[in-house]
Amino acid sequence: MTKHDASRRAFLVRAAVGAGAAAGAGLVPDAIAQNHDHMEGGTATPGAQHPSGSEHGAFFNHTDAATIAAFTERIMPSEPGKPGARDADVLNYIDLALAGAYAELQDFYRRGLAQLEAYCRGVYKEPFVRLSPEHQDEVIASLENGNATGFAYPTAREFFNVLRTHTMEGMFADPLYGGNRDFAGWRLVGFPGAQAIFTPTDLQSKLEFTRAPIVGLQITAKGPMGRG
Amino acid sequence: MAIEKTDVVIVGMGAVGGIVAAELGKAGMKVIGLERGPRLTTADFNPHDELRYFQRQELRPNWKRQPVTWRPNARATAHPLNVLNYGNQAGGGTVHYGTLSWRMHEDDFRARSQTIERYGASAIPEDSSLADWPLSYADLEPFYDRTEYELGVSGKAGNLQGRKIDGGNIFEAPRSREYPLPPLLDDQSGVLFAEGARKLGYHPFSSPRAIISQPYHDRASCTYCGFCQAFGCHVGAKSSILVTKLPEADATGNFRLLTGTMCYHVNTDNSGRATGVSYYGPDGSDNTMEAEIVILSPFIYDNTRLLLLSKTDKFPNGLANSSGQLGKHVMAHIMARIFAAYDDRFVNIYMGPSAQKHTLDDFNADNFDHSGLGFIRGGQISVSTADLEAGPIGTAMSMDPPPGTPKWGAAYRDFLGKYFTRYAAINSQTENLAYADQTIDLDPNVRDQYGMPAPRITYDWRRPNETARVEFLLQKLEGVGHAMGATKVWRGALSPGVPGAHHEGGTRMGNDPKTSVTNRYGQTWDIPNLFVIGSSTFPSMSGFNPTLTIQALAYMSADAIAKRYKSRPGPLA
Repeated sequence: MTKHDASRRAFLVRAAVGAGAAAGAGLVPDAIAQNHDHMEGGTATPGAQHPSGSEHGAFFNHTDAATIAAFTERIMPSEPGKPGARDADVLNYIDLALAGAYAELQDFYRRGLAQLEAYCRGVYKEPFVRLSPEHQDEVIASLENGNATGFAYPTAREFFNVLRTHTMEGMFADPLYGGNRDFAGWRLVGFPGAQAIFTPTDLQSKLEFTRAPIVGLQITAKGPMGRG
Repeated sequence: MAIEKTDVVIVGMGAVGGIVAAELGKAGMKVIGLERGPRLTTADFNPHDELRYFQRQELRPNWKRQPVTWRPNARATAHPLNVLNYGNQAGGGTVHYGTLSWRMHEDDFRARSQTIERYGASAIPEDSSLADWPLSYADLEPFYDRTEYELGVSGKAGNLQGRKIDGGNIFEAPRSREYPLPPLLDDQSGVLFAEGARKLGYHPFSSPRAIISQPYHDRASCTYCGFCQAFGCHVGAKSSILVTKLPEADATGNFRLLTGTMCYHVNTDNSGRATGVSYYGPDGSDNTMEAEIVILSPFIYDNTRLLLLSKTDKFPNGLANSSGQLGKHVMAHIMARIFAAYDDRFVNIYMGPSAQKHTLDDFNADNFDHSGLGFIRGGQISVSTADLEAGPIGTAMSMDPPPGTPKWGAAYRDFLGKYFTRYAAINSQTENLAYADQTIDLDPNVRDQYGMPAPRITYDWRRPNETARVEFLLQKLEGVGHAMGATKVWRGALSPGVPGAHHEGGTRMGNDPKTSVTNRYGQTWDIPNLFVIGSSTFPSMSGFNPTLTIQALAYMSADAIAKRYKSRPGPLA
């Protein structure tokens, strides 16, 4: 018993020190600050405005917000009638998640964004947000297949996988969490939300379900569901 | 530090713990249940939230605070698995499981003998430790029956006392009577699967599930909402331990549940008897529960871990390990999967209970001739949602797009936008033979939130017998997909060796104390007042989900303890 008590205390101490060290890591905030300075030095860059139109910035600064908005929009592009990351406000979802449920990933994002910027500047001489959509897609593909250089932690693949996962969460999680605005993601795929019941007639139908409004945790769409 | 005394202490209040607590409480024994998670209620599961319960796994152990590590072989370094598909609350995995309630086949209980009789001893891979169970299907049948009727399982018999019945599973072992409840309604994926399978001469049927299709025991029936696997049921129609056996245990007046408690040690004395357990309270306090009988029924990892951590001078290799078999012969289902998608109609697979909606059993167990195939044993084939749960996050995370379509960008958006409502996944849940070097032990590097070494799994399913069987079944799945009239059929990616769902083994049961850890009742050979009940005792696994068999074993063990052990403590013959 005493042996377990000792190891348990040691674990708790380590955990506490680990958390402090991560939060206080000096290197990465500096790198981000440099990027930020550079961006601020230009005129009216795409990142100067919070792309969601909201200014609260729970976690990201403007520069990081612009990068995440651009990146997630390439993962799920918006087109008329086909809601994407911008329409669903995926940026807002990720921003809120990193300030709360995913706070332990703050350092992952800081380092990942710094590495992404360094990679883009190295290859294209520009930050990610200023690249053409074609070049942005090249960058994302190089993360996905692990070919992007200069990534240590997170690795290029890890950073891609987390951004893809969080994009899907922001598209499809209940609007309560800050994304899936106006059920944009659910309209894209035709998901009616948390319906409490499907009838035998619903189960027998070969047609799309449009009988009832989309149901969310706090809000229900007006009128029967429809896409786009 | 509190020290208390009781007749029986049960560690883990899931599929087994709730049954044993209720039955021993009814027999007049004082029972304490230790459960590391909370006790939730049906009201906690309304409304449904895919992010919280599926994606963030709120009803499952937190993989960072309660890590389980995995490595493919003994030379590799183990890392924590980031999805732990078992329970972390009173009721355990039955709160959020897909409710599949299978009886194993007769030959699943004697897979070694069956293989030798039909194909010769050389058909068993040399490195496999495939073994017969120390009991037969007939021994367990009354307890399967009791589980189905007490908990509430919906299905249709395919073999009533030897009479084969079309529309049920004609490959099932004979059952003494019909299911207590008729099958759940089919959704369109089930209809398509049944039509396609029949065209190929197979024998499809509605999967038996612990969801009540009609009101039963004062509980409301299923509403087909689709939030099933990974979710608690918002009307209590899922026959989880939470709404079935825990209320029964409460009603005995002999049961007390201690939530937020973590057992870290099984205590034994110099005579070799278990004296109780030590556990951390929700406030971090260090407590002792003295007991006449100790029953371990957490998920399988913690059985091996606790027995190893509780070693003494008298039991230097861990408790109940005189055979040296503790932690060995670990098995997990291997998932082979294809997708079928339709351009000309909707499927709406998000409606209805989400896991294994309809099944064909023609290629499971020894239901088909394996001569010349290069492998033994089989897999169950069923139609499901992409990740066994139905929502769009799970689909986006788990549904591989067809070859040529990327996983992001405009083409991916259009793929998901079109096919989320027009697809079905067809799975083969494939048996994994036992191998002695598929193990659980203590991770030397990773500790959990309590400071205990994490359980470490050493495992890689990609052995010749299993890979040959997976390829055989993938071809059958593609055939079913085409017979279902799908516009497109494509294969999903296979796991990179990592253990899949439904882990079994580690405290293997048997007839011989030299080669097994427990007898058929889960009573350890070395310490007669220490029991281990659950799938960790399975000598082989079958292609079926283990829960109903786990629960039947729990009833059988509780019966033996109440009727025989209680009056005459000692080894149960």
